Amino acid sequence: MRRTFSVVLAFVVLLAAGSSVVRAAEPLVPETLWAAYKAKFMDDSGRIIDNANGNISHSEGQGYGLLLAYLADNRQDFEQIWYFTRTELLVRDDGLAAWKWEPQASPHVTDVNNATDGDILIAYALALAGSRWSNAGYLRQAAMLARAILQHTVVTTKGRTLLLPAAEGFAVDDRADGPVINPSYWVFEALPIMGLLAPSPKWEALSGEGLGLLKRIQFGPKHLPAEWISLSTQPKPADGFEQEYGYNALRIPLYLMRGGVTDKDLLRRLREGWLQSDGVSGGIIDLPSGRTKAVLDDPGYQIINHIAACISDGKRITPDVRRFNPVLYFPSTLQLLGLAFVTEKHPECL
Amino acid sequence: MPLKPQLLAATILAVGGFYPDGGHEALAGSAAPRGARIERVMAAADLPDTDTLAGKIRATQSSAQIPLPDPGIDDTAHIVQFDPTAEAQTRSPTPPTAGAAEEPEVDESALRYFAARGDTARLKAEIARLRALYPNWQPPADPLAVPQHRDAKLEAMWRLYSEGKYAEVRRAIAERQASETTWQAPADLLERLSVAEARVRLVNASELKQYDTVVSVGAENPSLLNCADVDVLWRVAEAFVKTDRASRGQDAYRFILKNCTNPAERLATIQKAAALLPYESVQPLLAFEKTGTDGSREFDSVRDALSRSFVAEANRRPEISIDATYLERVKRLAANDTNGTDSLLLGWYYLRHNAMPEAEKWFRTSRDKSNTASASQGLALTLIARKAPAEAEEVMFRWKDDSEDASATYLAATANLLAGDPPPEVPGPVLQRIAAAVVEKRYVPTAQQMGWYARAFNQPQAAIRWFQTALQWKADDEPSAYGLAITQQQLNNHAAVEDIRRQWAGRSQRIANLGLLTSPPPATTRQTTPPTATAVEAPPAPAAATAPTVSAPVRVAAQRAPGPKVTEKATERATASKGNRTDCALGTASAANSQQALSLGWCLMNLNRPLEASEAFEKAAQSNVQSVREDAAYGQSLAYLRLGLTNKAAIAATQTPQTGKRAAELQTAILADRAVSAFNAKRYREALVYLDQRARLSPDTTDLAVLRGYAYMNLGMYNDAWKIFEFVAETGNSDASRGLAEIRDMQNGYR
Repeated sequence: MRRTFSVVLAFVVLLAAGSSVVRAAEPLVPETLWAAYKAKFMDDSGRIIDNANGNISHSEGQGYGLLLAYLADNRQDFEQIWYFTRTELLVRDDGLAAWKWEPQASPHVTDVNNATDGDILIAYALALAGSRWSNAGYLRQAAMLARAILQHTVVTTKGRTLLLPAAEGFAVDDRADGPVINPSYWVFEALPIMGLLAPSPKWEALSGEGLGLLKRIQFGPKHLPAEWISLSTQPKPADGFEQEYGYNALRIPLYLMRGGVTDKDLLRRLREGWLQSDGVSGGIIDLPSGRTKAVLDDPGYQIINHIAACISDGKRITPDVRRFNPVLYFPSTLQLLGLAFVTEKHPECL
Repeated sequence: MPLKPQLLAATILAVGGFYPDGGHEALAGSAAPRGARIERVMAAADLPDTDTLAGKIRATQSSAQIPLPDPGIDDTAHIVQFDPTAEAQTRSPTPPTAGAAEEPEVDESALRYFAARGDTARLKAEIARLRALYPNWQPPADPLAVPQHRDAKLEAMWRLYSEGKYAEVRRAIAERQASETTWQAPADLLERLSVAEARVRLVNASELKQYDTVVSVGAENPSLLNCADVDVLWRVAEAFVKTDRASRGQDAYRFILKNCTNPAERLATIQKAAALLPYESVQPLLAFEKTGTDGSREFDSVRDALSRSFVAEANRRPEISIDATYLERVKRLAANDTNGTDSLLLGWYYLRHNAMPEAEKWFRTSRDKSNTASASQGLALTLIARKAPAEAEEVMFRWKDDSEDASATYLAATANLLAGDPPPEVPGPVLQRIAAAVVEKRYVPTAQQMGWYARAFNQPQAAIRWFQTALQWKADDEPSAYGLAITQQQLNNHAAVEDIRRQWAGRSQRIANLGLLTSPPPATTRQTTPPTATAVEAPPAPAAATAPTVSAPVRVAAQRAPGPKVTEKATERATASKGNRTDCALGTASAANSQQALSLGWCLMNLNRPLEASEAFEKAAQSNVQSVREDAAYGQSLAYLRLGLTNKAAIAATQTPQTGKRAAELQTAILADRAVSAFNAKRYREALVYLDQRARLSPDTTDLAVLRGYAYMNLGMYNDAWKIFEFVAETGNSDASRGLAEIRDMQNGYR
C-alpha cells in the first residue's frame, strides 16, 4: 500500500519540478545585491553569520537568510540555508529552533532555548517558499513550526493574547515581573501566514494586541517602547534589561510598514523618537533620559527613516541609502528587507 | 554487516513497539508519557491540504512580479504526503514494483565514484546494497573499466556527499533542477543524503539532550540504525532511557550485543548500558558475552568496574539484590586497594543492608587506609547503631563541617551520646566541643539532651539555660519545655513554672499536670550550686566558662527522680491512656495489666501520691516481663523513699536486680534518708556512718554536708564541724553560716 503511494509521490515531485516556472525579470531582492549579502554573511554549510557578534549564528539570522533567499528567488541558496537551519537548530523536542549557535563551542548550540521571532521568520520563509516553489516539504515543516510556536509561545494572560519571546524564561511563572514581552518579536507580516499554517483565532488577536501595545506603551521623553516590557501590572520596562530603544526595537517600524500597518501617528512617533539631528540616522535611545547612547548611521538603519518619510511625505529615498555595501549582518539584512518592501509596494520612493 | 540495515532497524523498532503492525499509529500510541512527540507526529497528519494552503499563502502576496507556477498536482497524491510514514518510505531505497515489465535501470554512479576513489569499503557496501535491491543485477567486473557516460555534475554531487558537505549537495541538486527542469536527482543520492542529514540532526539533538527528537529521528530513519553506526544506536538507546522507556533502551543495547561484532564497540555498549540502566536490566545483556577459544570472556577487562558499579548501585537502591560474585570481586579488589575506596564501597553496601558488624569492619579498613569524611561517617553510623556514640562523636568530630550529611551524622552522635542511659561520663573537653558545635549548628535535639544531661548531674541552672536555648531555636520543642518546667519547679521558681504551664496550656498534658503537685520534689532541691564546679557547660558561651574536668559524675539520686526518659515515657503513656488527674488517681483496680499498673505508678508519683504509687508499682512488679519488673521495683523504692519508709525502699530495691546506675541511685538515696533518720533520732555516730557510706558512692550534697556538720557539732567535734560549715558557707548556704555562728557563740561562751 505504502509502496504504491510512494511511487505516486515520486510522480508528484516530477510534476512539480517539471511545471513551467515563469521567471520574473528581477526578483524583489536583486541578484547582485543578494550575491553581495551572501558572499559576506553566508558560508557553505548554509549558516548566516552575525559578524558583529563574534561570528555566531542564530535562528533569527537563519530566518532572515531564508526570507531574503526567497525574495531573491534563489532556490539553491534557500535549500542551503534550510539545511543548516533544520540540522543544527531545529532539534528541540518541542519542534522550535534552538536560538544560539557558536562556531567555537561544542556542542555548537550554546543556548537551546528558542527565540520566537527567529521561529516565526523561519516558518514564514518556508511557507512563502513552499507555496511559490510548490514544495510540500517546506509547507509541512512551516506548518509544524507554526503549530509549535502557537502551542509554546502564544499565551493568553488576563484576556491578552501575547507572544512570549521564548518558550522558557518569560512567562508569568518564570519571572517575578512576568509575563515579559519584546514588541519587536511581532513580525506583523508573518502573523496572517501563521494563521493559515496553524489555524487559530489567536493569531489575529496577537496582531491586534501587538499593535495596541505599541500604540499605548510610551516610555520617557521620547515616547518610545522599551525592548523588554513587563506586563505583570501596568506595562513597564522589565527588570534586568537595559531600558532602551535599541537594536531589537529599531525593527519595529519596518515590521509595521512591511506588515501593512498605516497608522501614521504611531509611525511618526517612533520615527521622531528615534531620528537623530542629522535627519537620517537612528540611535540607541536611553528611555528614562531620552538621550542617544549611540548614533546608528549605517544605511541599513537609515533606510527605515527614509521609507517612513517617503510613505508619509513622498520624499524619495536618496541613492546613498539605496546603495548596498554590506558591512555588518544586521543593518545589511534590514536594508535588503527595506529595499524589497519599497520595490514591491512603493516603487515611487525609488 | 551481518544483516541488512533496514532489517536491523525494523527489529529494534518492532521490539521497541514502534511498528508492531506498521504505520504511525503505533508511534503515536506508544508515546503516552510525552506529549510533545505525539503533537509533532499528529501535526503532520493534521496539516491542511498543502495545495489549498499554497494558494492561500500566494493570495496574501499581492506582488505579481513573480508569476507563480500552476501547481497542477493531483489531489490524491497529497493524502499520501501527509502520512508521516510516506516520508520514511521515500527515503528508503524503493525497490522496483513487483512484476514490473521492464528491468529497472540501476544507478551505478555511486559505485563508479567509489571505485574511482579507490574507496573499496564503500564500493563493497554499495555493491551489496544494489544487489539486495536488484536481485537480477550483476555488478560490473571492473567498475573503472566500464565505459561511463560521464555525468560530471552528478559526480561532483557524490564528491560533496562523500566529503560530508550535505548543504552543498542540497544546493547543487536545487541548482541543477533550476537549470535542467527535467533532471531528477537519483533516488539513491536523495536517500543517502536524507539519512546523512538525519544523522547530523540526531547527533545534534542528542548532544543537546533533546531526546524526543533523537527518538523520532531514529524512528523516521530506520536505515540509520545498524551495526555500521553503533554511535547512533547508543544515542537512540540513551534517548529511550532518558525518556522513561528503559526497556526500549535495553532493547537497543541487546540489539547491538546480539548482532554487532566489533569488540571495542561491544565492550563500550555494555559499559554504557551499565551506566544508564538499572542493575536488573543489565544482567540479561551480560548473557550475550562471548567466550573466546582460550576461555577468556570478552567483558573481562571491565568486570572490575562493572562489579564496583553494581555494588554502588545496590548502595543507592538497597531493595535490589545483586549477585554475590560481584560482591566477592569487590572484596578481592579491596584487599589490594591502597586508598580504601573499595573497602568504603563495601562498608556502605553492608550498612545499607543492615549488616552493621560487616559494615563497621569495612569502614574501619577504609579509614585505616585513608581517613575520609565518607569512611568516618559510615563508621560513625555503625557506631551509633551499636550504641557506641562516644566513639562516633570522636570519629566524626574532625569531619563535622565537611558536608551537611557529615554535620548531621556528628550531631546525631552527640545527641545519642548525651541521651545514654545511664548518662555517660563525658570528658570535659569533649563536652565543651559538643556544646560549641551544638550552638554553632543550632541543633535542638542535642541542646535538649544537654539539658537532661545537666539535670542528671545535678546542675539545674545549666539545664535551664540549655532547655531555654533549645526552645529559642525551636519554640514548640515540648520535651525541652517540660525539662525546663520540672527544673524550675525543682528550684521552687513557681512563677516560672506557671509561666510555662500557661504557654503550654492545651498543648502538653504533662506540663499541665506539673502544677498539681502538692509539694516540691524532696531532699536537696534547695541546692543551686553543686559542691564542685560546673560540669555541664551552658550556652551561649560555653568556651568562656572554663569548667574543670569532672572525673566522675556527681549525682544525687532523689534529684533525678525519675530521669527524663523514664518520666517522659511513663507520663506519656499515662496521659495517653488516661488523660487527666482523676483518671490517674482511679487506683490500682483500674490497671488491667502490669504495664498499665506501671504507668499508673509513675502518674501517681508525678502527682506526689507515693502511697498509691507504691501499690501500683507493687502490682506492676508481678509482671513476667523483666524490664517492667525492674521499672516497678525502681518506682516502688522511690515511692517508699518519698514516704520516708527507707527500710522498705531498701528491700524493694533488692527484690529485683537493678541496673548499676539505678542501684547506685537508690542506694545513695536510701543512705541519705537513713542518715537523716539517725540524725533526727539523735544517733549522730550512726548518721555519720551512713553519710560516710553514701559519700563512697557520691559526694555529699550541700544539705547532707550541713547535716554532717551538725552531727560533728553534736558529738563535740567542733574543728571538723567548723571546716564543713566554712566550706559550705562559701556557697552562700545560710544553714552553714548559722552553724558557724553557733560554734563561734559556743566557743565564745566557754571563754
